[in-house]
Amino acid sequence: MSQENTAAKAAPGVEKKEKPERDIHNLGSSFIFKPNVIDDIHVKAELGRYRMRGFSLFKKIPHFDDLTFLPGTLTRFVIEGYREKCETKTILGPRAKRPMELDIPVYITGMSFGALSYEAKTALARGATMAGSATCSGEGGMIPDERRYSEKWFYQLIQSRYGFNPHHARLADAIEFFIGQGCKVGMGGHLMGQKVTDQVAEMRSLPAGIDQRSPARHPDWLGPDDLALKVEEVREATNWEIPIQLKLGAARVYDDVRMAAKCEPDCIYIDGMEGGTGAGPHLATEDTGVPGIAAIRQARKALDDVGKTGEISLIYAGGIRNGADLAKAIALGADAVAIGHAALIALNCNKDIEEADFPNEMGVEAGYCYHCHTGRCPVGVTTQDPQLRKRLNPDEAAERVYNFLHTLAVECQLFARACAKTNVHSLEPEDLAALTMEASSMAQVPMAGSQHTVGRPDMTRY
Amino acid sequence: MAELESRDSHDMGMHDEQLAGRTQQIFFKPSAEENFTYPGAYEVDFDKETEFDAADMSNKDVNLKIRDLMSQGYGSITIRNPGAKHSLGVCILNRLQLTFDGSLGYFGCGLIDGPNVHIKGRVGWSCAENMMAGTVVIEKNAGSTFGAALRGGDLVCKGDVGSRSGIDMKGGTIIVGGKTGMNSGFMMQRGRMVILGDAGQNLGDSMYDGTIYIAGKYESLGVDAVESEMTQTDIDWLEKKLSIYGLKAPNGVENVRKIVSGKKLWNYDNLEPSEKKLIL
Ligand SMILES: Cc1cc2nc3c(=O)[nH]c(=O)nc-3n(C[C@H](O)[C@H](O)[C@H](O)COP(=O)(O)O)c2cc1C
Ligand code: SF4
Repeated sequence: MSQENTAAKAAPGVEKKEKPERDIHNLGSSFIFKPNVIDDIHVKAELGRYRMRGFSLFKKIPHFDDLTFLPGTLTRFVIEGYREKCETKTILGPRAKRPMELDIPVYITGMSFGALSYEAKTALARGATMAGSATCSGEGGMIPDERRYSEKWFYQLIQSRYGFNPHHARLADAIEFFIGQGCKVGMGGHLMGQKVTDQVAEMRSLPAGIDQRSPARHPDWLGPDDLALKVEEVREATNWEIPIQLKLGAARVYDDVRMAAKCEPDCIYIDGMEGGTGAGPHLATEDTGVPGIAAIRQARKALDDVGKTGEISLIYAGGIRNGADLAKAIALGADAVAIGHAALIALNCNKDIEEADFPNEMGVEAGYCYHCHTGRCPVGVTTQDPQLRKRLNPDEAAERVYNFLHTLAVECQLFARACAKTNVHSLEPEDLAALTMEASSMAQVPMAGSQHTVGRPDMTRY
Repeated sequence: MAELESRDSHDMGMHDEQLAGRTQQIFFKPSAEENFTYPGAYEVDFDKETEFDAADMSNKDVNLKIRDLMSQGYGSITIRNPGAKHSLGVCILNRLQLTFDGSLGYFGCGLIDGPNVHIKGRVGWSCAENMMAGTVVIEKNAGSTFGAALRGGDLVCKGDVGSRSGIDMKGGTIIVGGKTGMNSGFMMQRGRMVILGDAGQNLGDSMYDGTIYIAGKYESLGVDAVESEMTQTDIDWLEKKLSIYGLKAPNGVENVRKIVSGKKLWNYDNLEPSEKKLIL
């Protein structure tokens, strides 16, 4: 049909409007090969390797946003906000001789010195201490000032054993075995050559400047039976005093947690696929693991089923941004939550500070940066460059970390009180409803406005 | 407690880092030294000797007993009937002459810094893992992951060892009198491993650095592990080190072969296109 024939006829006396010419060749664009996918292939065709990046998950997955609270109205008696007490004290590893006692149910997760600058590490430690919370060394060993500034401190025992020192283990308040992390389950850590400075290399016994791709398996144990013995060894090493935590990337959570529980740790930490990273293959961060809302629920069920609830604490991390996420994670079954990138954002990540020039330095506007792996962090957080590090004032940063942690706790209380709890740990799945079928199925809570939980044979509550 | 400095953070801490002591890293500022005490490291006297029988004791009790004796200043301890219990002698963080009159289970003498240990029997998996300093000598055979992530000291097994020995090694010396299994020296970073017998597949796979000396045959080399020329320094060092433990290379140290890192994986991004296949 010609263009002419299809044009509507103008009424007499009315001026005929010019219609833009239709492009009969434009059928739309591919859902599969979107412009960014096309660009990705172009880049990889030149690079000949996978692409690295830092930061968080890029794609949309069922998430805490897909859940909502069902606060008290007439069926529940609400607790007065800001006035009546709502307990936030959190005890991790209650069976241990010296459990980890936190004032709030959130602490700073393990992020290595190397990935983070000295200023970032110490600011996190100081902020956490002010908030009555804890930090964790991460990979690559202890920096003494982090230990000194952290009132409560996890020491990480990671596959690579970079910088692992038994003297430092004896200084720890808890030991965390890194077995996996949510953003790249099944893989070891990464630190690109730019960040492997002389100092970082010396701490890790590596040649300076190499691209460090850490092992994915521990050197001295291979399966859960050996792990149980390894846990015992570390208990011997630390005098059977402090909690031992196993950090798992969320994959086959129900089975993994039951196996982990058999190793008799004090705490199990589950890292959802939302989890951030300092450096990882982009594809791994997008395409490994399961979402937090599914992982927490499965982990709690596993602990219940093996009779370890109340004995082994459950910690969740991955994509926690605010007190609502925190409260939802607790309601789904976590005893505490750890935060990574949200704390870095409190430090200044992605903030358009005066000294930084994001478009020129990183090629993106502030708010869109994910380039932690380059070591060129324009706000001094994920860099070892002395000039860039000066852009982070650790004194002010520590205060921001404290403010943020405190806010998370207060926001969490807000939901707990509204749901009629005098203790944030009393939040429960019954306080939640799902806004999507996926969230209902994964978190095993009913769809909002119904009693129907997707995936339950009788379509009722979990 | 020394004053914590909250100001001038850019200039503090890491810049005062120093490597000192035996092999432990002391990072902190001397002025703030009292902020750190190393718990669990005792002053002992080698001339103060004692022994006890571990037959009816749990591994926890044996370790507590060792610590208790060290806290009383005992510097030479002999343990009879260790009974291949796991995790015996872990995390001893001071000098000590320790003798096990028998065999150890998994993780024997792991995480130690300083003691001289003599094991008259065999050891299970992961003996002396993450050892920082000292010597551990085993008269018979050892299990897998022998000396995993070793950081310093000498770890000697006069018999055969299992697979993955010296995995993730970061320093120190491992000597194997007999043969070793597959993946030995996997991802080795520093240090030296001496194998007087044969080695299994993938010797030195993905090693970053360090040196493997092998007197026997190996089934295959791992990715990025290459043979290199022995130098006179290598020969002298080997001769001296082996003589300390009464060991000999079967065909003489001159015929020992030396394996080092090809260093191609150091910066994978910079490899030539044809070299990238290395990791397939
Ligand atoms: C910069 C950075 C460095 C990290 N380094 C480590 C590490 O050394 N060891 C580790 O177990 N996890 C590491 N992680 C992962 C975190 O511990 C945690 O699993 C994750 O960040 C949680 O997700 P979130 O960032 O969304 O809160 C790192 C994460 C970031 C962002
Ligand atoms: S601003 Fe720094 S910490 Fe934030 S994403 Fe960019 S490089 Fe990473």
